[in-house]
Order: sequence, then C-alpha cells, then structure tokens
Amino acid sequence: MSSLFIAGHEFHSRLFTGTGKYASADAMLASLVASESELVTLSLRRMDLKHQSDNILQPLQKQGMKLLPNTSGARTAKEAVLAAELARDALETHWVKLEIHPDPRYLMPDGVETLLAAEALIKKGFVVMPYVHADPVLCKRLEEVGCQCVMPLGSPIGSNMGLASRPFLEIIIEQSAVPVIIDAGIGAPSDAALAMEIGADAVLVNTALAVAKQPAQMGEAFRLAVQAGRIAYESGLGEKRVQAQATSPLTDFLGGLS
Amino acid sequence: MNIMLNDVPFEFFGNTLTDLLDSLEKEAKGIAIAINQKVVPRSLWDRTELDEQSQVFIFESIAGG
Repeated sequence: MSSLFIAGHEFHSRLFTGTGKYASADAMLASLVASESELVTLSLRRMDLKHQSDNILQPLQKQGMKLLPNTSGARTAKEAVLAAELARDALETHWVKLEIHPDPRYLMPDGVETLLAAEALIKKGFVVMPYVHADPVLCKRLEEVGCQCVMPLGSPIGSNMGLASRPFLEIIIEQSAVPVIIDAGIGAPSDAALAMEIGADAVLVNTALAVAKQPAQMGEAFRLAVQAGRIAYESGLGEKRVQAQATSPLTDFLGGLS
Repeated sequence: MNIMLNDVPFEFFGNTLTDLLDSLEKEAKGIAIAINQKVVPRSLWDRTELDEQSQVFIFESIAGG
C-alpha cells in the first residue's frame, strides 16, 4: 500500500480518527492505537475553570500521533480564523481541520464561510484541511485557493449513514489534484473500504469507533477495512457488467456424449 | 487584580498572564489565551500585563472529531 502525502508529511495509515464521544480516555487510546491512525483530531473550548479535564494530549503524542485541531464551534469565517490561531498556539501546529457549521441540527458545513476562512488561513501560513459538503465545485475552489486536501462528507456527522453522497464524491475524486479525505458519516468498516475502493485518499472516522461496544476491536476492524479497500483500489478493480462472463472455459465435452 | 475571565469576574494575585495561570493551577500545555479577541502567543505570557478592563479567554484542548 502506498503512503499518503499531505503538505509534504508522509502518512503510512490512510485512516484518520477523531477523539470525541469515547466513554473514557483509556477506551479512546486503545481504539486509536489499534486503528494505527497517525492523525487524530482535537477540539478547543473555553477552559472549564472548576474542573480539571482529562489530559489526553500526552498519551496521544507519546504514540507518535500527529494532532489536528479543528475549528468546531465556529459559525463564521472570522470565528474559525480565531479558533485556528488559538489552536496553533495551544497545540503548536499550523495544521487545522477547518469546519464551520452554524446549524446544530444537521451540522451542515457552511461552504461560503469555509472558502473565506480557507483563503485567510492559507495567507497566514496554515495547512488547511476543509470539511465541506460533497460539492465538486466548492472542492475545486478550495484547491485553487491553496488547501492541501479536501474533506467532503459521506453523510451527516455522526449519522453512520455511510457514503450517501457517493456520486458527488466520485466526481470530486476524479477532478481533485489534492488528496480527498472522506469525512463524516462513515458508520461501518464496509463504508470505509468502499470509500477507499472508489479512490478516496483517506477517511476520517470518529463516531463509529467511539460508540462501538469494543472500541479497540473496532479500531482494528477499520484498520483492516481501510487497508483492504486501498490495496484493492491500487490493484485495479474489475469493471461491473450486466451479462455473465465465464471464469472457466466453456467447453462442449458434455455435448459430445449425447 | 480583578479581570473578566471567560466571561466571569475573576480575582488573582499578580498582574501578568503567567501570574493568572499560576493562580489557576492549570497545565500550560494544550491551552491558548486571547485578550480582547486577539491571541496572545505563549512566548508573550510572561510579559503581558493585564488591567481591570481585560477580557481574558483561556481555551483548552479537548477530545473532538
């Protein structure tokens, strides 16, 4: 399986992961270790002054995982730029997963604000990974302003509905000159394998791992599925056809007996 | 000194951002600070003096997707 390069950084694993929604920090770590993910997302929030929160940074960094802060919570380009600048200082990385979703019900990304924020952040030297709808035109625009990859959604965040946007993802993959990472909605290893088979460069999975009864085992399942899907893609899948085509030569030796 | 910290009145001993963090007994790793909507890089925390009008926001990294 080939490596994936984003902004010159080499990834051996094509499974990126989120850290949210796990029952405990231990469950999260066990799942991410089993997944062999090399890029994990984090969020920022206003500090809770009353309670000490779990220290999840140290164990993640100890595993050699690259941290990718997101701008979750931002509703406008301006808020997202501030969130990215805060994250850069907090986590000492100029990589950012740009996500702007003003609507809490469906968490649909705001494409207009995302494009504006991407332009501003790229001028400030960020590696921008934008989370967007599976919109081929917007993905091209993001590439043109300098995004190092695009992250279109398969289906709504946390919905486990898989690749509901598949026809549009296929157009994005065909047109894109930067890596395409399918983010959101991937609910089962088969969804992840399919994403890789249709030519996605990577997938980002969170909920499906975090809510599994055995998150560590599910991490392994996704690791294998992503590898299988990618290897299949690189091997060249056969075309689909309506008519049968024999895999054994059709001889007529039985005909000769009658 | 009295300031507004994360939208709540807050009193601490000293006048720099570092003094503020000391009084909170929080780890400096994984956090970021903004004053009046501008990020203050951690290299400047020592030298950044606050006044009673300062609107300070401290952010921390948490799990997320």
